[in-house]
Amino acid sequence: MMEDRDLSRLSTGDEGYIRHAGRGFLLTFYAALRALKLYPVENTAVQKALDELQGTATALLVTENELEMRLAGDFLFINGTRLRLELDNFAAFSNLLTTLRGFEIGIFRTHSGVERREWQALLSILLSISADATIEDRYVALIERLGQAHTPHLEFEPETEVAEAINAQESREIAKRTYAQGVAVTKEVVNSIRMGRTSSVKKVKRAVQMIVDQVLTNETSIVGLTTLRDYDEYTFTHSVNVCIFSVALGRKIGLTKLQLYDLGMTALLHDIGKAKIPIEVLNKTSGLAEEEWRVIQAHPWRGAMTLFGLRAYDEIPYKSILVAHEHHMKSDLTGYPRSIRPRSLGIFSRIVAVADGFDAATTRRAYQTIPIEPDQVLREMWTNPRRGYDPIVVKALINLIGVYPIGTCVILDTFEVGIVSQANPDREFLNRPVVRIAIDPTGGILSPPGLAVDLTERSADGNYVRSIVKVTNPDRYNLTVGDYFL
Amino acid sequence: MPIPTGAELALPAQQVEELIRTIVKGLRAFQMYLPNNPIYQRAEQAIHDAFLPIWSSTQQLTLSVVESDLVWSEQVVYRQPNRSESFAWMLYKDGMRLLTLKPGVEGEEVVRFLQVVSRARMLQADAADDLLTLLWEQNFQHIEYQFTEIITDSLTVLDPQMADLAMSQDASAQEQVREQVREDVVERAAGGVDPEDFDSTLYFLEEQETRSLKGQVDEEYTRDARKASLEALLDTFELQPTSLVREEILGIFDALFPNLLNKGEFRTVARLLREFRTVAQRVTVLDPPLLEHLQSFQARLSEPAILSQLLQSLEESAAMPEDEDIGEVLGELHAEGLETMLTFLPSLKRPAIRQILEVSVDRLGAANTEVVLDILGRTNSDALPGAVGLCRRLTLQVAVPALDKLVGHREAEVRQGAVEALAAIGSPGALTAIERALDDPERGVRLAAVTAVASKEYRGALRRLEAVVQGKGRHELERAEKRQFFETYAVVAGPPALPLLSDILEPRGLFRRRESSETRTCAAYAIARLRTPEARSILERIQQDKDLPVRNAAARALRDWVE
Repeated sequence: MMEDRDLSRLSTGDEGYIRHAGRGFLLTFYAALRALKLYPVENTAVQKALDELQGTATALLVTENELEMRLAGDFLFINGTRLRLELDNFAAFSNLLTTLRGFEIGIFRTHSGVERREWQALLSILLSISADATIEDRYVALIERLGQAHTPHLEFEPETEVAEAINAQESREIAKRTYAQGVAVTKEVVNSIRMGRTSSVKKVKRAVQMIVDQVLTNETSIVGLTTLRDYDEYTFTHSVNVCIFSVALGRKIGLTKLQLYDLGMTALLHDIGKAKIPIEVLNKTSGLAEEEWRVIQAHPWRGAMTLFGLRAYDEIPYKSILVAHEHHMKSDLTGYPRSIRPRSLGIFSRIVAVADGFDAATTRRAYQTIPIEPDQVLREMWTNPRRGYDPIVVKALINLIGVYPIGTCVILDTFEVGIVSQANPDREFLNRPVVRIAIDPTGGILSPPGLAVDLTERSADGNYVRSIVKVTNPDRYNLTVGDYFL
Repeated sequence: MPIPTGAELALPAQQVEELIRTIVKGLRAFQMYLPNNPIYQRAEQAIHDAFLPIWSSTQQLTLSVVESDLVWSEQVVYRQPNRSESFAWMLYKDGMRLLTLKPGVEGEEVVRFLQVVSRARMLQADAADDLLTLLWEQNFQHIEYQFTEIITDSLTVLDPQMADLAMSQDASAQEQVREQVREDVVERAAGGVDPEDFDSTLYFLEEQETRSLKGQVDEEYTRDARKASLEALLDTFELQPTSLVREEILGIFDALFPNLLNKGEFRTVARLLREFRTVAQRVTVLDPPLLEHLQSFQARLSEPAILSQLLQSLEESAAMPEDEDIGEVLGELHAEGLETMLTFLPSLKRPAIRQILEVSVDRLGAANTEVVLDILGRTNSDALPGAVGLCRRLTLQVAVPALDKLVGHREAEVRQGAVEALAAIGSPGALTAIERALDDPERGVRLAAVTAVASKEYRGALRRLEAVVQGKGRHELERAEKRQFFETYAVVAGPPALPLLSDILEPRGLFRRRESSETRTCAAYAIARLRTPEARSILERIQQDKDLPVRNAAARALRDWVE
């Protein structure tokens, strides 16, 4: 499996040039293919198209020394840089993608010294095989015919697990964008409320919909980002984290997509009342005075009032109001705020309460400079009824994130230090998650994203290669957990 | 095996253009007609058929959305420069940039898609939804789309921070870390989970737990979230002593009320009004302005402007609210609302609402007769017809003098209502007031009066009745009315009426003018009401009369004769 660090190049380098030149190459390739389809080879249009194709390819080779096109899912990469779908290239993009996929090509390399006639041969062979419905294995036929046509500077590889690694990278990129959108939207809403302006409910809806989509398609990537603990932007990242945990929990329970969206909305807005709390109280580093604590404890009912007053809503968001009001009440209603009229907490409030409690306890904040380790938090939530969390929901949370939640820093019996990156999907092995090695046995620190290892892996003698010895504080090793999920 | 790419290139652009044209036409049809309309159904079929040649050439159709154009394979396949009519613009303005359609979309998905586009088109700029949030809810299987990011300029940059740390680590730092790890391994954290001891089954959700959670999710959706939210607000009002907070909460209710009324949430409104009364009693320390504000909701509901909106919405709403719900909120009204309710009452078309409103009006009227009298005293009030109706139902004795005056009102409807009310009251004073209505220029009023006189056998009206019978009445009466007057005369006068009536029926004397057939017929029916042997013998004699209608009337009267 490709080392993760090799993929880091995907996000660095002079991407702007590669995108531009890659786009040019893509367009000329497509144009030449079309021209050859429509006209005989000696036609001037075809000749011109081949010249242009040769020109763009050569330019790239001169600058980059290599020209590699990779296919991964719906994405095309030129020399490791993803080509963006744009208005002036989408047809070529789509067409080339379909062509490469049709031949099960994973990588297409062009080497320096490529000749014009090689392009002509390649394009002709692609078209002729495409038109021949009797050919079963197109990739094999392509390689055979290219060999016969003597095209030494054109090289192909079939689709392999390389695509999986690139897909994983792409998933992380999408997760990052989704997460960032969520934080930006939450920030905008909170700041609007502070300034007495109306905010865009549409944007909130879209952000939650994106989170739901991400949880449904690649939960690991976005749950991993909840380990980003932003000291300064805590209010906003916390809301997004609670939204992610809640939606993931909801999915575990079996909520439908629309129900997940409803839950996600309540979760994202659960702390909206903090927009009415003075910032100096929210961010106070020393202990809170009694009055200040009362101010903080007001945020649930203030949140409910705020949501009633959000004029941008066509429909009053009653579910969100309830969750904002109830999420600190505890299952037995001994929390806050007090209740005069009879009430029982809905499941949404209980899910958000658990997600909120977990994220808050595991985050460093102004007044909690040492976060509690995730596994300890889970144990406390599970075993201490005075905390007031619904035990079945806590159980579902543990089921979701494992006994060693994502982001837990662990020491292995190989004297490696790792960050838990994924719960083991096999229920039998909740205690053997996937871990990203951050420190090797020699004490060397591995750059993020580290080396992913599965703790269920066994050696030839049947023993586990690695096991968790203990949980530790990442600060002891100057590790920033969130970096291993970016 | 995937379709050869060459075939995609062979798909003529005209076919795609035709498809888009068909889709746009279909969109119009779906906007204007219902699904059972043949035009709607034809449009559906046309779209379905237009996709078939497309799918024989390609496995997906990707369209680029460029402002008012749709572009396929670098060719413009749809253009409508007028944005207000452009299908492409409907998609573009909310951020869609690419639309991909796949085989299977021509089923119900494309229709659903177009319905969403149509809905989104009507949304205001500050609406809580747009095309994309609405599309997301549809969960399409054969439609994909790409859109611009909603926030691109202020996105948090999520970049790893540790790269430098890793690269800058020297040999001694590395050794230090190595030692630290070994030290930490020696001591295990107290209470840490020993993997050997770990029993992962503790954390599996059992089937009944999963079922329980699913059940609670169902409850979440049947729960009355509105009620719970409003109760949360009321709890906050009671528990937070700060005037500013309480004022803000009352402000929320100020905004909520019209909202609730508009949606027909009458039970909620009624419940809130009851809660406000409870809160006003329970909260011992409440600033006077806040108390006044709290108590004002009930009064405000009774204000003409608000109440008339409520009544109008009741009349016009498509769905009929529960009787109980309407009754609940109307039960909370003050006397100030009485005039508005009385104004609306006669014009209400829906019997169910009318009935419920009458109950509330009657309740308020009985408890606030001074308000009713005040309305009766204002001859220009639109509520007069309703008020006189109220007096009739409640038989308001105290209203007789006012109703007496209204017998002379310029509006016939009011006069008639007043007469009916007086008739229902039936007191001597009321009947006296009815008398002059026998001469009313309006037939309806006269009939109401004569009916009342007959039912009460009011002798005070005898002279007027006699005058009508003798043909000295002020107005020309048509047959049915005339008959009623004649019969009433007979009922009121009794047997002494026979001579006059028989004289009309059988005029004696050479020069005596013979009455019209119609008048004689009325006389025959009136005589029949006397039920005396003399009356009977006259009727038997009249069966031989030359005048056919008279003979028939006599025969009919004798047939119905009951001793």
